[in-house]
Amino acid sequence: MTSVFNKKNSFYRFLTKGLGLFLFLLAMSGTLMAEERAGNIYGLPPCVTTTGLQIDFIIKIIFWLTAVVFVLVQGTYTYYLIAYRRRPGVPAHYSHGNNTLEIIWTTLPTIIFLALAIYSNRVWEEIHRPAPENALTIDVSSYQFGWEMRYPGVSGKLAPMDVKKISPTNRWGTDAEDPRTAQDVISTELVIPVGRPVHVLLHARDVIHSFYVPEFRLYQDCVPGRTIGWVWFQAIRTGDFQLACNQLCGTGHYNMKAPIRVVSEEAFQEWLVPRQQKNAGILPTAPSTPLATPSPAKAASLTAKSPDNTL
Amino acid sequence: MNNAAYNNASIFHAPTAPEAIEHDHHAAPPTPPATCKLGMCIFLCSEALLFSGLITAYLVLRQAAGSWPPNFGDGIELPPMPKLLTGINTVILVSSSFVYHFAEVAVKKGKSGAGWMLLSALMGATFVGIQCIEWTELYHEGLWFNKGGVYGSTFFTLTGFHGAHVCIGVLLILWCFFLQVTKGTFTAKRHVALENVGLYWHFVDVVWVLLFTILYLI
Amino acid sequence: MSASLTHESGASVEIHGENHHGDHGHGKHGIMHYLWNTDHKMIALQFLWSATLFLVLGGAMAIAMRWQLAFPGHPVPIIGHLLPHGIVNDDGAIIPSGYNVLVTMHGTILVFFVAMPLLIGVFGNFLIPLKIGAGDMAFPALNELSYWLFALSGVVMMASFWVPGGAPGTGWTAYAPLSSFAPYNQTPMGQTFWCTALFLNGLSSITGAVNYITTVITMRAPGMTMFRMPLPVWAIFLTAILLILAIPVLSAAAALIIFDLNFGTTFFKPSGYGQPLLWQHLFWFFGHPEVYILILPAMGLTSEILSVFSRKPVFGYKAMVWAMISIGFLGFIVWGHHMYVSGMNLTLSAAFSVSTMVIAVPSAIKTFNWMGTIWRGSIHYTVPMAFAVSFVSMFVIGGLSGIFMASTPVDLFVHHTYFIVAHFHYVLFGGSMFAIFAAVYFWFPKMSGRMFNNTLGWIHFWMTLVFFNLTFFPMHNLGLGGMMRRIADPTVYDCLRQLQPLNVVCTIGAMGLGLGTIPFIVNIVWSMFNGPKAPANPWNSTTLEWTVSHPIPHGNFSVIPTVYHGPYEYSVPGLEKDYLPQNEKAPAHITLEAH
Ligand code: HEA
Ligand code: HEA
Ligand code: CUA
Ligand SMILES: [Cu+2]
Repeated sequence: MTSVFNKKNSFYRFLTKGLGLFLFLLAMSGTLMAEERAGNIYGLPPCVTTTGLQIDFIIKIIFWLTAVVFVLVQGTYTYYLIAYRRRPGVPAHYSHGNNTLEIIWTTLPTIIFLALAIYSNRVWEEIHRPAPENALTIDVSSYQFGWEMRYPGVSGKLAPMDVKKISPTNRWGTDAEDPRTAQDVISTELVIPVGRPVHVLLHARDVIHSFYVPEFRLYQDCVPGRTIGWVWFQAIRTGDFQLACNQLCGTGHYNMKAPIRVVSEEAFQEWLVPRQQKNAGILPTAPSTPLATPSPAKAASLTAKSPDNTL
Repeated sequence: MNNAAYNNASIFHAPTAPEAIEHDHHAAPPTPPATCKLGMCIFLCSEALLFSGLITAYLVLRQAAGSWPPNFGDGIELPPMPKLLTGINTVILVSSSFVYHFAEVAVKKGKSGAGWMLLSALMGATFVGIQCIEWTELYHEGLWFNKGGVYGSTFFTLTGFHGAHVCIGVLLILWCFFLQVTKGTFTAKRHVALENVGLYWHFVDVVWVLLFTILYLI
Repeated sequence: MSASLTHESGASVEIHGENHHGDHGHGKHGIMHYLWNTDHKMIALQFLWSATLFLVLGGAMAIAMRWQLAFPGHPVPIIGHLLPHGIVNDDGAIIPSGYNVLVTMHGTILVFFVAMPLLIGVFGNFLIPLKIGAGDMAFPALNELSYWLFALSGVVMMASFWVPGGAPGTGWTAYAPLSSFAPYNQTPMGQTFWCTALFLNGLSSITGAVNYITTVITMRAPGMTMFRMPLPVWAIFLTAILLILAIPVLSAAAALIIFDLNFGTTFFKPSGYGQPLLWQHLFWFFGHPEVYILILPAMGLTSEILSVFSRKPVFGYKAMVWAMISIGFLGFIVWGHHMYVSGMNLTLSAAFSVSTMVIAVPSAIKTFNWMGTIWRGSIHYTVPMAFAVSFVSMFVIGGLSGIFMASTPVDLFVHHTYFIVAHFHYVLFGGSMFAIFAAVYFWFPKMSGRMFNNTLGWIHFWMTLVFFNLTFFPMHNLGLGGMMRRIADPTVYDCLRQLQPLNVVCTIGAMGLGLGTIPFIVNIVWSMFNGPKAPANPWNSTTLEWTVSHPIPHGNFSVIPTVYHGPYEYSVPGLEKDYLPQNEKAPAHITLEAH
């Protein structure tokens, strides 16, 4: 026996410092709570969609489940660390294990995990059921490094598109012959009516981007060469948010965002109808908000050339 | 450092001549043949996974393309795969496996077997040669790594990966051949390097049969 | 250091057989001796030093990233001027494309050039032959080749910083088509180097794994049955199997990227009917087993250290082994949990969610058995034990956050946020790195023949534990608050600006963590040469490596030992000493409990 197990490394040092750490962590979690933002639990941004509420509920369940497991496991563990510290004359108990215990702590977690998986997937099923009939369909297109939205024109229907036709000259892959193509309303902000289901079709023109809105509890990749068509949601209150690209897509990724406005149905109509009419040639004057969109190439070079303008 | 040089060959286990062992009194006992073969088999498992990755990629892309050769709607006709020539080539490669086996049988009987080794190396080389001709032809018909979309990409990548393996195999067999001719390295008792090269060679053949089936036949 | 490891002059020991001399290699202390040495113990040290270098490099990158996240646009102190142009601007502030490069290289380096070589290269090499009672690996030269392939891959990886266009900035996951099409990423050369480096690194792993598997199967000492093998050997053995099956798929995928970039193939390019998601499937088919490759050895090492310092047999040895086997098996069918919202079929997502939940079960089994191991033990608090104990605690935190993400609807919200970053640093740093620290301290006396400095060790431990939590715990909240990964400047988003104080906290933590690593590096470098001489068996352990004394000769054992029982016979009632080495028979009147 050497001097390795000397007093210097004694348990008490371990304990005092461990306790210090524990208190420190507690204090820290206190600060974290103080960071909590308007409207929701432990730091989540306010939830704005119906599906988001369901997701928050699962988060809450898992939070409490893991919190209980955490406290039990770490508590027992800490207790053991203290209770079974080396004491002269108290030898360790000689045991290679216990099969009954093994069976218990294999089955119990299995049951919990399977239950959780089943419940999660039921909600999952609900989230991605087909969009309701009355949903407003918006085509959302992403490129390095920006977003464009396409709303139906006066006909109420988007011009049909083919992902294979997307090119620098045909950004939406629509058919130029189709009268609806000219009628489609193009916008750089996502304006949506509150209380109505919104069905978004996700497209990417170059690399993978993603449609991420934390307040909507929604993330979905936009994959080039495909239409992602399952995403729909229904906002439960109005407000201004930001659409973020959350898939590393190149130099300008960090700044690839677009404004989102959730507005009342009337305000939405007020915004959309003049644009539709303008495109249909009914309304000659330009709508109040400019619609100009920089071409993808230009946007890319802008971001690439002045990378630290926002830094 | 003698030791290093000695062990260097130990995966294929080119048995060092007896004098050499005596000379190098630091050498660890030679790795037993069964161990060498086990090592080779494990290595081949990883090779199998390499090809599984490539083959899966091919199958997925083919499935997603709808028709095969895919229709890009640009009016360009993509050439079909030359089944007959490659069929003959397949026969050559598969036969070379048997020829190689005869080399092993000969060595086990205490004969040289060098002729069989040379023959199977030549057959392997022929396979590569015919494969090259086929590549050139397809190139002139408008198919290449960067032509014909995934149709060209997958074909040239998969056959290219396999071709590289065949080339390495041919070199290994030639190496065995020269060892046998110059030093008579492989005896009825000790010939584990020969067997390991054989394992590799048979593996490359089996992969080819798979590739032939999915790339050309179906 | 090599001299102190194998060839202390005059201390050579005659070992068995005429062919063997402990002084092998004497008189050849030239440069070749360091460059090509087939002794597994020496190769372990080569891996140790290389990986430590990469730890400093990758860690420094992390600190630079953290600075940028807390104080976007401000010049990075000290490190800023060391970073190549193209990452920082003239002031030494990080530019967005440079940030992407840092994220990419940080992730790649720490996974492939720090954690893997430390766990597998160092401890696989050092421990397997010693613990199973073998003289060396089955293929010693292949073993050294494995090291040099690794070194070469490191050089290629770092070289990418200086090629035209610079290093790639596509993330360690290198999602196509960003990574596979030059106009999109603008770093085709760097990306090609990156892929090549991973290919070589993979070759290194495969050659290593061939060796480990063969060695474990064929070279165990008499009496060393599979179920008498120490848990680190089991863990690394299973890891090697995972390597053999997972790495080649990454190699194939990396080759496809190289082809797409340079030869114009269209594997991932939609216009040629390629599939961007194909890359993700190939990558994660490798990637998920990869994360278990990083945790299994850590679990094995920790299990042993917990047992030694609790002076108790590992609780449920067989359960531990079976849990690891099932982790290894299940690890191949859960890769889709990285792709729930990638555009993959949503029903498939649901299936992957179930398998992901299931794979948490073996981890639970292991956690409970670790608790069983210290239960009613006689716990000695040493530096390695402190790290091992913290490993369990931190791993549980990381594992529990994994449960959130395993649930598909929750992942719809937290995917690609800092919640994920928090999760994987808890399992990778709190898990793998803590276990590595524990193991380096624990086997240091055997590797170097010297003791490490205790004070520095304790400073390292406390700083690491405190600052680790300070760095990564708040990231859970950042993630739930909606902060995305891989963004160079969170303040461009309105909803993230209010979270900025948390980012500052993380950054302070990261700096402390970096400072805390310095005592570790100083300790191992200094003590390797100057530490007090260590006894052969300083921890009173039972496994075979402690039966040989320093310097361990080439060939390890003068007589190949015979093994009589399982690896962890501590505190056997009726015995004088509280441990029974594997090569000592229990006295006739004592029956060992079956395990
Ligand atoms: C060492 C590495 C390691 C380990 C061990 C794990 C372990 C686990 N991981 Fe993790 N993971 C990573 C490394 C690791 N992970 C990395 C690097 C990424 C990100 C890659 C990238 O995108 O860059 C990732 C990402 C990742 C994702 C994708 C997230 C996303 O991108 O959206 C998911 C989703 O399911 C996941 C789940 C899990 C689960 C369920 C476990 C489980 O195995 C954990 C099991 C353990 C426990 C659960 C704790 C102990 C158990 C108990 C105390 C029992 C009782 C518990 C209960 C009843 C709840 N991980
Ligand atoms: C084992 C793996 C591992 C380890 C140990 C770490 C360690 C650390 N990681 Fe890392 N990390 C990853 C694996 C790892 N990481 C991966 C896979 C990613 C994903 C990449 C991607 O998205 O593609 C990632 C991403 C990642 C991010 C997210 C970036 C983003 O998405 O934008 C962040 C942000 O804070 C971060 C921070 C840190 C920090 C602060 C440490 C600290 O622990 C580091 C502490 C520092 C040191 C240990 C170095 C100490 C020494 C010195 C500084 C110098 C001393 C000098 C002398 C002695 C001369 N990491
Ligand atoms: Cu687009 Cu990130
Ligand atoms: Cu995973």
